[in-house]
Amino acid sequence: MKVEILYPEFCNLFGDMFNMKYLKKCLPEAEFVETLLDETPKFVSEEVNLVYLGPMTEKTQEKVIARLLPHKAKIEELIEKNVVFLFTGNAIEVLGKYIENEDGSKIEAVGIFDVYAKRDMMHRHNSYFIGTYDGIEIVGFKSQFTMLYGDNSNCYFAEVEKGIGINTESKLEGIKKNNFIGTYLLGPFLILNPLFTKKLMIMMGKENPELALRDDVVTAYNVRLKELKKI
Amino acid sequence: MKKSFRFYIALWGAKAGTVLLKLLRRNATFFPGRFALKICPDFMGRIDKPKTILAVTGTNGKTTVCNMIEDTLKENGIDFIDNKYGSNIDAGVATTLISGASLLGKAKKDLAVIEVDERSAPKIYPYLTPTYLACTNLFRDSIMRNAHTEFIAEILTKYIPKDTTLVLNGDDLIVSTLAPENKRMYFGIERQEFDEDQRESLTRDFIVCPKCNTKLVYDFVRYNHIGRAHCPKCDFKSPEIDYAVTNIDLEKKKMTLKTHEGEEVYDLISDNIINIYNMLTVITMLKQIGLTFEQINGGLKKQEIVDTRFSEDEVEGVKIITHLAKGMNPIACSRAFDYVRKYKGNKAVILFLDDLHVAAHDSENIAWQYDADYEFLNDDSIKQIIIGGVRYLDSYVRLQLAGIDPKKIVHQRDELSALDKLKLDGIDTVFILHDLYSIELKDATKNKVEIMIRSRVAQKEGQVEK
Repeated sequence: MKVEILYPEFCNLFGDMFNMKYLKKCLPEAEFVETLLDETPKFVSEEVNLVYLGPMTEKTQEKVIARLLPHKAKIEELIEKNVVFLFTGNAIEVLGKYIENEDGSKIEAVGIFDVYAKRDMMHRHNSYFIGTYDGIEIVGFKSQFTMLYGDNSNCYFAEVEKGIGINTESKLEGIKKNNFIGTYLLGPFLILNPLFTKKLMIMMGKENPELALRDDVVTAYNVRLKELKKI
Repeated sequence: MKKSFRFYIALWGAKAGTVLLKLLRRNATFFPGRFALKICPDFMGRIDKPKTILAVTGTNGKTTVCNMIEDTLKENGIDFIDNKYGSNIDAGVATTLISGASLLGKAKKDLAVIEVDERSAPKIYPYLTPTYLACTNLFRDSIMRNAHTEFIAEILTKYIPKDTTLVLNGDDLIVSTLAPENKRMYFGIERQEFDEDQRESLTRDFIVCPKCNTKLVYDFVRYNHIGRAHCPKCDFKSPEIDYAVTNIDLEKKKMTLKTHEGEEVYDLISDNIINIYNMLTVITMLKQIGLTFEQINGGLKKQEIVDTRFSEDEVEGVKIITHLAKGMNPIACSRAFDYVRKYKGNKAVILFLDDLHVAAHDSENIAWQYDADYEFLNDDSIKQIIIGGVRYLDSYVRLQLAGIDPKKIVHQRDELSALDKLKLDGIDTVFILHDLYSIELKDATKNKVEIMIRSRVAQKEGQVEK
């Protein structure tokens, strides 16, 4: 089993790399490979079970778009083949149509999904989140300068119970197409969501997956879920 | 900007409000400024300011640096205004300017020392031009407010007035590349012997050359992106240092500062590298307004780091050290963890890092825990770690992911009850690491640890008598 972490030297703003460190503890036999920004992604030529991309700065988004654009067809092919992708925070924006600045200027993105992002750099959105994905209650936090627009009603990741979806008017969070999952939830998302992590491992092809520190992460998850429901 | 009718209404209203608040024995450190800005949004641009403004910004250390500058000025009989008891955002700065102005809006003093929150740059610098602005460092901070260092550096570069002379940490590449058009000078600490005992930090936010995008080569890393680096492809490199600490003698508690004028040996008031950086910032700033070595060192050496940030006591042969480790500020926590790791002897560590304001009515975003180097606490000299508070389960997971043996960890919701499990046998120092808003809890914890140490000694003596 192989996991590819894209551009970890840049796309790791909010402790997100611990998603992969935790996954590695859950999948000790798996190979985790890091692809740096000046390298060609491994998924182009090798079989991978998961491609992970974390949140990044606005300048880095432009660099990542430039790196991924030549591989647009390959990414689309892998999504069709049910390869698992997990994009957290603003990473999903690089695969949309474009990112719009406050002055109306646009940064053309990779263009795989029919959505676009709008930046508002002086107003940061912060919220907590409860939603449901495939019967699993997802918890987490959002902290972002952008909102995503477009119709994700046929390709959303989670139905929102508390918090916002891809924008303040939306109750549908993220993008999910086959096994591609993109969500604005950031930070140690997999540690906060052990039930989802187990599901993710099954999607990756792991039979009877075991969670690392199972009792402790599940207890923390249950406490947080209860706490967030009360707020 | 001219003083308008609206300005005077704002000024007089704020002045009257200040008197009223004082009569009611309430703090008048924020609301007068807020009132003035509400009535007259460009109030700060219209009020007269002291001739010289020393401003300090940066992620960590700005309060300590301002306190030290102020205490040194007082020691030398120099009069000034400051926002020591006010907030460091626009309303707090406005309050300070109001208190330092006459009823006609004229500045009553010639010098101001102003701490400026870096995120408040767009609301402050269009109206206030610091003569000298020191930037201590720029690190990851509150995710919710500050987002990331690139964002903060960009707003500082955009809003710092062009006439301000910058006093910058030359060991911090994010800081040293701020507002490149401005006149500037750099302070820094040359590589020291103790720098060899470094562990890789989890985060480093300056990794590629800003000129040609090539991966930088770090000549040495002190922590995170603090160190010296150069680009292997172009001429970009860490700046030449104007105020350089060349030697730190921790035993003699001295540091040697080399400037363009020569060398001076200062008394250290702390052995913690973050405080040595703070001292260096203070010295560099005070030299700009003409203070001599004798005036600066004479003022500094009488100072102590304030008790709410650091304290050290000894009870029956066991040290108790309290150390501020601002929750949600991963680098401040990492520095505290590193200090604990390097401190000699066997240690027990009590961690109360929850943000109690957030804990009261919200759910803390714990992402910062995964940018903080909890791994530094994975050290043989640390025998026990006690964690309490709302986020005790999250902290327990984080400590285990740092590779720390769960047998070493006590985790309990109630902080003071968790202390009952403190094991003092063989412990030389008990560290209490606490958040900025946990001062009462810190004091209660310290009291309880003192009692536990004393009762343990009394028990032992009782056993000997029997």
